[in-house]
Amino acid sequence: MIEFSNTTFKYNVTRADGVNEDIAGVRDLNFTVKDGEFVVLTGGSGCGKTTVIRLINGLIPHFYNGELSGTVTLNGSNIKDMSIYEISGHVGSVFQNPRTQFFNVNTTDEMAFAAENRGEQPERIKTAIASTAEKMRIENLLDRNIFELSGGEKQIIACAGINVLSPDIIVLDEPSSNLDHLAIKKLAEVLKHWKQAGKTIIVAEHRLFYLKDMTDRMIVMENGRIKHEYDHAALISLTYEHCKKLGIRPLSLEGVPLEKAVEKSAANRIEIRDLSFTYKNGRHSINISGLSIEEGRVTAVIGRNGAGKSTLVRNICGLEKRCKGTFMYHGKNMRHKERLHNCYMIMQDVNHQLFTESVADEVMLSITDKKMREEEKRKRAEEILKALDLSDVAETHPMALSGGQKQRTAIASGIASGKPVIILDEPTSGLDLYHMEQVAAETEKLKKLGKTVLIVTHDLEFIFKCCDNVVHMENGTVKESYRLDETTCGKVRDFINGKKEKESENV
Amino acid sequence: MEIAVQEVNEQRLPKIDPRTKMMLLITVGIIMMSGKLTGVEYILRLICTCVPFLLLVLIKQYKAAAVSSLILLAVVLCEGFVVPKTSGFLNLMIMIVCGVISRFGPGYLCGWYMVRSTSVSEFITAMERMHFPNIITIPMSVMFRYFPTLKEEYSSIHDAMKMREIGQNIKNPLIYIEYILVPIMMSTVQIANDLSAASLTKGLGTDGKRTHICTVGITAWDVALIAVMALMLVVFFIF
Repeated sequence: MIEFSNTTFKYNVTRADGVNEDIAGVRDLNFTVKDGEFVVLTGGSGCGKTTVIRLINGLIPHFYNGELSGTVTLNGSNIKDMSIYEISGHVGSVFQNPRTQFFNVNTTDEMAFAAENRGEQPERIKTAIASTAEKMRIENLLDRNIFELSGGEKQIIACAGINVLSPDIIVLDEPSSNLDHLAIKKLAEVLKHWKQAGKTIIVAEHRLFYLKDMTDRMIVMENGRIKHEYDHAALISLTYEHCKKLGIRPLSLEGVPLEKAVEKSAANRIEIRDLSFTYKNGRHSINISGLSIEEGRVTAVIGRNGAGKSTLVRNICGLEKRCKGTFMYHGKNMRHKERLHNCYMIMQDVNHQLFTESVADEVMLSITDKKMREEEKRKRAEEILKALDLSDVAETHPMALSGGQKQRTAIASGIASGKPVIILDEPTSGLDLYHMEQVAAETEKLKKLGKTVLIVTHDLEFIFKCCDNVVHMENGTVKESYRLDETTCGKVRDFINGKKEKESENV
Repeated sequence: MEIAVQEVNEQRLPKIDPRTKMMLLITVGIIMMSGKLTGVEYILRLICTCVPFLLLVLIKQYKAAAVSSLILLAVVLCEGFVVPKTSGFLNLMIMIVCGVISRFGPGYLCGWYMVRSTSVSEFITAMERMHFPNIITIPMSVMFRYFPTLKEEYSSIHDAMKMREIGQNIKNPLIYIEYILVPIMMSTVQIANDLSAASLTKGLGTDGKRTHICTVGITAWDVALIAVMALMLVVFFIF
């Protein structure tokens, strides 16, 4: 049993300007999780759900600094009095970012790692690994290099490692953030299996649709407090409108409405012909005989992980020199150098594309028009920052911003660069409802500016809010490409809901 | 002879213990870095130049093995036979270029082999057998993970720079370095932090006794290799 009583936690953080500050994680929490219960924590970013997870797995107070009052007890003992080693024997954790939770490079070693640290018998560990691999059907993932796996495969290896040690309590912090729908399905299977085995499971998550059937209780948090609690019967009756009012992502994708007006077809198109490209390691190769992208519209690129979505946009951007094919834009074939000059991609990890010391400098850096004088540039930068609600943080260091602000800074630089094609790579992964809507609004702004926008995404709500066209990739080719309207929205929904079972089922 | 070695590997890959690998690395490092270009020491240097080739063949990096050993051999032979016959500026240039490659190259290749061929848990196990404390072992073992991570980060940042058309000006390499280094440092700090948290929840870093599913042990191969290395070091230091 996990018991929170009058638990308050404040993080000690040092702000960018060097001032120390206490930021509330959770306030006056009182709740218990029974053995074998499946609890989902949800709510907007910063609502405190991650803090709750950290309080259970002992990272608070043993790793993150702050001020803890009240108590959290695991099976009757206070986490303050237990060492993190002791807690790790009872609680297994899966984290949000599959890239940063592995200590080993080899998958089998990683699966054994937690059990080895507890000093279990090597023979028992080996048997447990073999039976876990069989149960999860991941024999093909054993003894591989973790750097070669997809995000979904990594997350499954993280779950497998927990299965080997088999603790009573399992906590997961936004485990689906970086996964496509098939990987999410696999994750849901693992969770179901754990539930049947009687584990106590606590999931902090924005995307709720895959958890609905197995959730015993859902807790909606706000500002570090519990705002609502729903038991299983109450939560399955929550409709799309209810969820919207609560500010959370929907519990079912069936009810997500198509929210945008259908656009007229555009006058100009970018025509791609006979595109072929293979990475040096032979994976994710693409081969596209013809694809046309409407200018001044928003096009969603959907498809499974590994279908070649990212490869396609990287080629359109001109990031791959060895790419073959023609890209006709305004009646002219553009080579990769010219495409680089005309396209701007906002990467999934925006940290990689912010280089300067302030948000304003970041935008200025992108204004490369030599004819403009310094004051004109500054003025232009101010306008762009204002349009994206970044004026307040214009002098802040980009690394001190929140995730959403960093992404907006990257978008602002894209606008400043004056390039006509803007590409976003999974801009809404791991975002709550509010921030997802914000990205949708920014996409609208880009369209109003006349930009051609391409978005790689798995997010149905987001597609239905702002995309005009859909390109569906499969096995490196374009399976279908169509305008999004009342007649075609069912197709997208079925795909993202995982209705098409024919596609091969390896993560 | 090289072909024979390959065939043996195909049948039964001799597994070299991480401790032996360290010994190899240290021996090759010492002899190549500080050896003279004449007499017995030169012969020892020639032998050490061949070590990376054998190691890379062992992990089936045939192309890298061929290219690197051709370069190394050429450089070392050049040092032995061309350098004495030249003089003046040419002599200086050859000395500098060959010197840098021959003194650092083999050690670098042995290090690369070690990181490539040793899994993190083999390394930890071997270090524990030598009774190194965790406080040294754990930070060192993170290195195995750090290099591939760095490579991933570097290539994304490089792409971002290409797209923003910055740092492309060769005239200003300092700007390039700044633009690469700042985001790399920011993201590696973040990664290190997340990784520590994840490892703690898996029970790492306490004094509790660890077990290992990997098998690490000194075999006849290791004994032979260690004996040869020890002999070479003795010869190196006596003469």
